[in-house]
Amino acid sequence: MAESKKAPKGRGKQAAANNVFSGYKPLGNCFDELFGVDGAPHGALGALVNSIDSIGAGEFKARQKLANAAFLKGGITFKVYSDKRGEEKIFPFDLIPRPVSGSDWPRLERGLTQRIRALNMFLADVYGEQRLLKENVIPRELVEGSKGFLKQVKGIKPLNGVYVHVAGIDLIRRPDGSFCVLEDNIRTPSGVSYVLENRRIMKRVFPKVFTQAKVRNVDEYPLRLREALTGVAPEGVAPRLLILTPGPFNSAYFEHSFLARSMGCELVQGQDLFVWQDKVFVKTTKGPQRVGVIYRRVDDQFMDPKVFRPDSLLGVPGIMGAYAKGNVALANAIGNGVADDKAVYPYVPDMIRFYLSEEPILDQVETFICARDKDREHVLANLSRMVVKSVDESGGYGMLMGPQATKKERDAFAEQIRANPRGYIAQPRVEFSTCPTWSGSDMRPRRVDLRPYIVTGKDSWVLPGGLTRVALVEGSYVVNSSQGGGSKDTWVMG
Amino acid sequence: MISRVADSCFWLYRYMERVENVARLLDVNLLVVLDTQTNDQERWRPVLIVAGEEPRFIERFGADSADDAQAVQNYMVFDEENPVSIMSSLRWARENARSIRDTISLEMWEALNAFWLWLGESGQKSFARDPHQFYSEVKEQCALFHGLTHNTVMHNDPFNFMRLGMLLERASQTARVLDVKYHAMGPSRPDKESLEEGIEWIALLRSCSGYESFFKKSGVQFGGPSIAGFLILEPDFPRSILHCIGRAVNFIQRVRGADSGPIGEQSAELLGALHARLADTKIEDITSAKAGIHKECTRIVEETARICEAMRLDFFDPPLPQMAKMMKMGSMTQGQS
Repeated sequence: MAESKKAPKGRGKQAAANNVFSGYKPLGNCFDELFGVDGAPHGALGALVNSIDSIGAGEFKARQKLANAAFLKGGITFKVYSDKRGEEKIFPFDLIPRPVSGSDWPRLERGLTQRIRALNMFLADVYGEQRLLKENVIPRELVEGSKGFLKQVKGIKPLNGVYVHVAGIDLIRRPDGSFCVLEDNIRTPSGVSYVLENRRIMKRVFPKVFTQAKVRNVDEYPLRLREALTGVAPEGVAPRLLILTPGPFNSAYFEHSFLARSMGCELVQGQDLFVWQDKVFVKTTKGPQRVGVIYRRVDDQFMDPKVFRPDSLLGVPGIMGAYAKGNVALANAIGNGVADDKAVYPYVPDMIRFYLSEEPILDQVETFICARDKDREHVLANLSRMVVKSVDESGGYGMLMGPQATKKERDAFAEQIRANPRGYIAQPRVEFSTCPTWSGSDMRPRRVDLRPYIVTGKDSWVLPGGLTRVALVEGSYVVNSSQGGGSKDTWVMG
Repeated sequence: MISRVADSCFWLYRYMERVENVARLLDVNLLVVLDTQTNDQERWRPVLIVAGEEPRFIERFGADSADDAQAVQNYMVFDEENPVSIMSSLRWARENARSIRDTISLEMWEALNAFWLWLGESGQKSFARDPHQFYSEVKEQCALFHGLTHNTVMHNDPFNFMRLGMLLERASQTARVLDVKYHAMGPSRPDKESLEEGIEWIALLRSCSGYESFFKKSGVQFGGPSIAGFLILEPDFPRSILHCIGRAVNFIQRVRGADSGPIGEQSAELLGALHARLADTKIEDITSAKAGIHKECTRIVEETARICEAMRLDFFDPPLPQMAKMMKMGSMTQGQS
């Protein structure tokens, strides 16, 4: 452990105090992304660690400032926007990259692609024949009782059969160094713009470190996404591709505009579109024009006030009619939320076996479904060891971290679980990996997850990189930006 | 292009033009006041009148403050409740830019965002230290933004709508400044001008960045009517009303395209009519009439407002019945931009 740590090569005692990683101690109870338990960098990372280390703490601080200024100037902000000055915050960015070794990556790619294939077949099935439910692989009431299950899209087949055009699958790394799936995000996963912007800024701030490390490029993403999306356009329509955003006040607006810019397509709001004879049109200065594909970043419930929430001003009245007739492709498909339901997640390995006749390549976290009597009893009896999550929330909301919670908080949560068992699942707390992170004065181990992005058109493609989110607060296990999380550049090494 | 985006392009540039105009107006005032004997009342109140903000200002700060250099400048620069302060205009420019970030270039956005961040922090300090320096910096940032626009985006529809916003705003601002100054200087006759009035005319030209241009134009006599004529009718001066309207006619033609379908007809007609009228006018025609300058300026401001409203109905927010009509006429096309 840390006390017996040997000074790695190239970091002599004299210079050590001024080096970037001076005094860094991994936690010991989990995997560290850069350093082994003996305190030396993992085999292949020695050169990377040394090149960052030799920058020196003073210079490192200066570069961190430079990076923050670049984010602010670019308006690369995420907080819910209000017109008060100072309400736009940058997503805290940490300069220490999170490496993923080139030998781990191909397996992750295969595992992720496999998972997306199965989830896509699951969606086609639950809104179609429902074989999986008929054969009792997953309880019908669990699926049909999910908030994300939309009976309005039963029988609708999306163009080319693609439901999950864009997925962000959250992975964590266990103490033994193996990756496992923590949750699926196949509705409208966000964050990919930070992957690209983080990289752009890292290149500016750390050009030398880059030239030494062989890092795989992430710039291809917008082109791949564009290709996938235009590939699912209805036949006979020029594939005019649009991104539908809730507008500049949405917390992910930066990303929406970023993607529109980098894909060379237009960014629209609900008010810009209308439906006429079950076809979607955009209002332009040359009159109305037909739309083929919409990458929509508006939630299901807001897409069509005629079908879902009648008070929605963000969507397009009548668009579901156009969608049902196959006159417009929507990405991602409507109704994917059922697969994001955290009580459906435990069945994904069974889905892989059922639809693909394959064994899951990626493991996932053991999960107790509170709707099941036996599971619930176990959860309630072991609440102090569990992480309890609401099945349909994201962003780190509606969560109980059992081990850190007070007895009062646990009791209150137990009540909520009893009152609405279908609403919760629980998982044993995983000691997931840490990565050295700058605290402002020195380097500290902070928990990180990894969200790779998978784009699916005619085939699936995994972005070689992903969003590494980091829990900046000491001792925290929650990486969400809304809960004090930051991000790092993810380096898939060549 | 998307109607809403066209609207934002148009307004982005209207707001940027306002930022620059207010800065120039205040700056010129500040310099003139240093070495002339006019009292403050004649100096600062007109700025509020040009901006159309006199009543609101007096309601909030009292009539006396309208003559106070500091109060008026603060109100016109930083006051967030003043809809035409530099701060407000820049905020709205940025809001519009933000809503069309996919349309403008990264360079434009970064410059505008840096400008906005600067105004909130270093800009305040700069103003406190040296207002003249501050106004110069504002104008420079505007110039930077113009330059980046010109050189980093395609010169197609979004650009054309930005130019239209800038030109119509500029024409209207020149008319307002001229109107207020002319009015403030009283019934000035070309043959009887005091030295003090001469300084006022120079200030007016400077408010429109037209001092050097005016004197480079050979054969003009220095004085009220010739300066008014220059600001309204000089076709080659980039801030004259005729120049702006003439350029706007070009840009509206570009927007409508070679086929010139029914879309934009109303705007083009109004613009064309204003242009034809001005091109056919001599300054003597205006000055010979009673309150001629005032009438002409008011008319131009009104006609410009009508053109903007026509553009709204033609391009930015066409009423649905009109859209349905177009669908029936089969003018809708598939997937072109």
